[in-house]
Amino acid sequence: MFHRNPFPTTSRRQMLSRIGAGFGTLGLASILAEKASATPVVATTDAVFGTIPHFAPKAKHVIQLFMPGGPSQVDTFDYKPAIANYAGQRPESVDRKSLRNTKNGLMPSPFSFKQYGNCGKWVSDIFPKVGECVDDICFIHSMHTDIPEHAGAIMMMNVGHLQPNRPSMGAWMVYGLGSENENLPGFIAMSPHAQPRGTLANWGNAFLPGSFAGTYINIHDMRVDSVLKNLKNNKLSTEEQRRQIDLLAQLNQFHLQQQNGDDQLETSLKTMEMAFRMQMAVPEAFDVDKETPETLELYGKSEFAKGCLLARRLIERGVRCVQLSHSIDGYDIAWDTGHDDIVGGHKRLADACDQGIAALLIDLKRRGLLDETLVIWGGEFGRAPTSEGQKGRDHDHYGFTVWMAGGGVRGGMSYGATDEFGLSAIENRVHVHDLHATILHLMGIDHERLTYRHSGRDYRLTDVSGKVIHDIIV
Amino acid sequence: MLVQSRQQTLRLLAMLISLLQCCCLVLLFNICAVGVEPPEEAFSDEQLAFFENRIRPLLAEHCFECHSGNSATIQAKLRLDHRSYAIQGGESGAAVVPGKPEESLVLAAVRWKGLEMPPDRKLSNEQVADLARWIESGAAWPTDQSLDPADNKSGKPSAGYDWQKWRTEHWAFQPIENPQPPAVRDRSWTKTPVDQFILEGLESNGLQPSKAADPRVLIRRMYLDLTGLPPTNEAVVAFEQIYSANPTKAVSEVLDTLLASRHYGERWARHWLDVARYSEGFGGFLDNAGYDHAWRYRDWVVDALCKDMPWDDFLRLQIAGDLVGEKSDAIATGFLSLGPTYISDGGDPDSTAQARAETLSDRIDTLSQGMLGLTVACARCHDHKFDPLPQEDYYSLAGIFNNSATQEIALESDAVVTAYHQHQGMIQAQEKGLEEARRELRESTDEEKKKQIADRIQVQESQLNELRKSAPVAYGKAHALHDTGAADMTVAIRGNLLKPGPVVARRFLRILEGDDRTAYSDGSGRRQLSEAIVAPANPLTLRVFVNRIWMHHFGQGIVRTPNNFGVLGEKPTHPLLLDWLASSLKQTGSIKELHRTIMMSSAYQMSSEMIESNDAKDADNRFVWRFNPRRMEAEVWRDTLLSVTGEIDLATGGPPTDNIESRRRTLYFKVSRNGDVFPTDEFLRLFDFPLMRSSVAKRPTSIVPQQYLFLLNSNFMQQRAIAFSDLLLREANTDADRIALAYRILYQRQVTEKELALGQAYLTFAQSDPERKKLWEQYSQVLLGSNELMYLP
Repeated sequence: MFHRNPFPTTSRRQMLSRIGAGFGTLGLASILAEKASATPVVATTDAVFGTIPHFAPKAKHVIQLFMPGGPSQVDTFDYKPAIANYAGQRPESVDRKSLRNTKNGLMPSPFSFKQYGNCGKWVSDIFPKVGECVDDICFIHSMHTDIPEHAGAIMMMNVGHLQPNRPSMGAWMVYGLGSENENLPGFIAMSPHAQPRGTLANWGNAFLPGSFAGTYINIHDMRVDSVLKNLKNNKLSTEEQRRQIDLLAQLNQFHLQQQNGDDQLETSLKTMEMAFRMQMAVPEAFDVDKETPETLELYGKSEFAKGCLLARRLIERGVRCVQLSHSIDGYDIAWDTGHDDIVGGHKRLADACDQGIAALLIDLKRRGLLDETLVIWGGEFGRAPTSEGQKGRDHDHYGFTVWMAGGGVRGGMSYGATDEFGLSAIENRVHVHDLHATILHLMGIDHERLTYRHSGRDYRLTDVSGKVIHDIIV
Repeated sequence: MLVQSRQQTLRLLAMLISLLQCCCLVLLFNICAVGVEPPEEAFSDEQLAFFENRIRPLLAEHCFECHSGNSATIQAKLRLDHRSYAIQGGESGAAVVPGKPEESLVLAAVRWKGLEMPPDRKLSNEQVADLARWIESGAAWPTDQSLDPADNKSGKPSAGYDWQKWRTEHWAFQPIENPQPPAVRDRSWTKTPVDQFILEGLESNGLQPSKAADPRVLIRRMYLDLTGLPPTNEAVVAFEQIYSANPTKAVSEVLDTLLASRHYGERWARHWLDVARYSEGFGGFLDNAGYDHAWRYRDWVVDALCKDMPWDDFLRLQIAGDLVGEKSDAIATGFLSLGPTYISDGGDPDSTAQARAETLSDRIDTLSQGMLGLTVACARCHDHKFDPLPQEDYYSLAGIFNNSATQEIALESDAVVTAYHQHQGMIQAQEKGLEEARRELRESTDEEKKKQIADRIQVQESQLNELRKSAPVAYGKAHALHDTGAADMTVAIRGNLLKPGPVVARRFLRILEGDDRTAYSDGSGRRQLSEAIVAPANPLTLRVFVNRIWMHHFGQGIVRTPNNFGVLGEKPTHPLLLDWLASSLKQTGSIKELHRTIMMSSAYQMSSEMIESNDAKDADNRFVWRFNPRRMEAEVWRDTLLSVTGEIDLATGGPPTDNIESRRRTLYFKVSRNGDVFPTDEFLRLFDFPLMRSSVAKRPTSIVPQQYLFLLNSNFMQQRAIAFSDLLLREANTDADRIALAYRILYQRQVTEKELALGQAYLTFAQSDPERKKLWEQYSQVLLGSNELMYLP
């Protein structure tokens, strides 16, 4: 009647302590491979996880351009000319309860739209440069999420759960795949000034081992030699420190011999070397001054653009996942200025990121990196086509737009649709869990098989849901 | 039409299937078969699924606020939360007439014909059609739902668990025996009954116990284990002398000293605080309150352990200290009250319900994992997939916490509190008067009057100063639970509190208390719950408790999943030993006695040396053939560094500090729930201090480069290195003597020739005195940062 636990905790734990070596650089797959040759216990474990990647990945890296606060779909990428025909009216299809119980009629977008690219995609004039890239972009217009509140919806988008107690998407990816550069963190989260609401939870590891947590960097006051805490020794020269580390390594080696070998002790020796090299590798990766003037000009001067450029430099060096959150004026849910004033709020936010985003796509493409890098743009929900007050829009979790580019998704494509006014996703609806399932799929991971046992059950990013949207994959 | 209805049927079936599949994941093996009883009334699965998917959510969202047992006032005396109520109807007549939509008032009302319901907004046409269809087809409603808790006492299995089988077959639910220690061959090795159990396992598996640990290793082990502080060099030397003549006496004496030390309580309190996911709050946007007085609970745990409070009182008070103990025992309920208390950030009903549900889940999760080793919180949305924990049991416990809330309590008598507030009131009145006088002074134009006012102000100011000086000190407070009501709760369908199912009585878990359970009626029921948790007949609490103690001594529990004794947990490596320890604790009640029992054993006093032949058979050391070497926890490591340099501040108790430069013990570091608020959080998180979001079973060990950046570059390490090199330069005269002294202080051993030579070579690199001092600091930092200091053999 009772079945034995198929993965004894000890061997799992030992396995995970090894994964812990260095920013989760090894990842589950390499650990399993390593253990498989050493002990037969892993045979069962291997059966649980399969081999990761579970199938040939389309993408190796993810850059998430996160837009906290909820950008309005009908003022950016989900063109709804029908709104103008019913301006001020409240047709039944948009008469749904909103967070603030707004009862107003439809409000046409204050921005004009025009068609871009071979695909002829309609894009708002606040994103002219992104507009030029539409042939590389797949727009998902039929996103929907569970609740219309920032805190919970942001968590849903970034950790797949309404409460901040699950591992973030990036942490899951590094847990599954590791990083390709052992001198850099596998998952880096960045934002200018303000961290997105929920802060650490957006890149946190929750119950996964600590090495899978994202490393957060504030690009506003970033200095290359203090990107990480304690990155620089303020007393010793590199040579002096080398001598010091050599002595420590030698003493630890004696100790290791005395203990007749020990996994942890052995790992610690390697990890110390890694720390030493990181002192050089990390500042190098973050030093955008190394870029050519042409490249710097392509990205432009905004802080968000600097983040985009850093994102490219990081994935180029093997970082698995970069989460870059937008913010201006130190606001943690920047796009929420849409409540009061779409023109003022959205225009300034788009101005601050349009060029950087386009530059990132262009730059990745010309370096041959776009194919292996999945770029994701979107907020935690959208905004209603009806008005709030005179010029604003209330939250809309019934339907919103997220777009992806590169990494195996079809360019020049629009998937799913909202109703004729843009409030609710009605065609090919995509829940956030489905988006996550698709992202993991593109990375070569079966979202149902990337699990971690905690508190008596196996958890995964997509909880008990999620279906891959195969139609958008090349 | 036919095609459409078939599609609908398929969709409903799919929904039903996904409902049943829901939640716990990746089941590679079959779950014990669940025999679902056929419903008594003949509603088809399809009809019931339609009700659950389309009708119940609709009723819950639009009707229950005013028409259910949970309504503040039941409007028009109509309840719609049970089929029989709906049929019976309210003031205006039958709300639902099965099979006859046109005669059902509820349908007229939602069409806004005569009555206009819901009053704020009409239902959609689709929803109205659903209601009509549901009534037309007979108003299906699951029959297992009772109207009140009394009905649920029938003992009818609510889920298909085979209770008898579970009670007889799963090891953890069987009664605790008091087993006889087994016979063993090698009697010379066994010092205590513990050793008989261990040696029996070793002998029957062809394993050799490791030799006895070197006394210097042993005393360091005992000190760090019981107090989290290293022994002084003098203590080591003294121990070694006594040990050479009489090892038992030497160990016993050290145990006496350490168990009597306040530092024992500090060290072992931390183990329990992990279980209690203790933090000072600040859990982030949905749970951001700080708990200023949380430390009272931390100090309560330290005190309780120091005075060797019996294990059952220790647990009982943490559940119901406000109801059963002295006034100050209410502090103990911090075990529950200091957990996350979520709010919604926009008042959206879904989010508000979710926040409340999540908060209840924390209490149940912490209580059940921490004390019972069961994951009851898994049964929040459905019956537990693995263990015999029906969803009703979850809501039986949730009901208890739904009637309990956290409040700030005063730790002084009413007289003291009143006097404090009276005095504060006087100060405020005086301040107000002063403010008024100052305003008069500003506004007045008359010079003469101005002078009068100025004089008055002077007098008032000095009075205020006097008042402030004589003010009584602020009285102590704590965050404690108190009862707020005595109402039973409804099962939340799929975990959604907005979809109430049947009401369930507050009571204990069926698997532990039996089919015939007492419904709790005394306030929230916490007092009765606390009795059930520590009841002699409950086999789990004691086993879980002694297993934790064993785990902290040996690095691994007898059950290696200390928060999960369910079917997904591991089985005990030494079931009889576990029961023997549990019955010992039951007899003596004394936790300190249990430490002594364990630590006096040969098993505890073994060395950690590797034996290849053993390793080949039992690499995980499940049979305890050697002592598990392990890395120090963050607190022990930092306290050790501050101790060996002579800098530590051993003051005990009181408010926490978030000053990373503080030299107090690490137990007193301020901790936020997410580990992202205080500088002290940052240090702790770097060295594997777990997130205090949920009960921590054991600490992970990770080895990441940032730890080495800390060792190499942090101000903390540089400061310790300076202090330690100063100590060495002061206490000894030659480099060789200093190096030897360093090894004695740090590692309790003689330096080897090779190590001495390396050290000397490193230090002679310098040309001048300032350079030499700098080299000594670098060298000290190396020794302090070494694995030998950080790992316990």
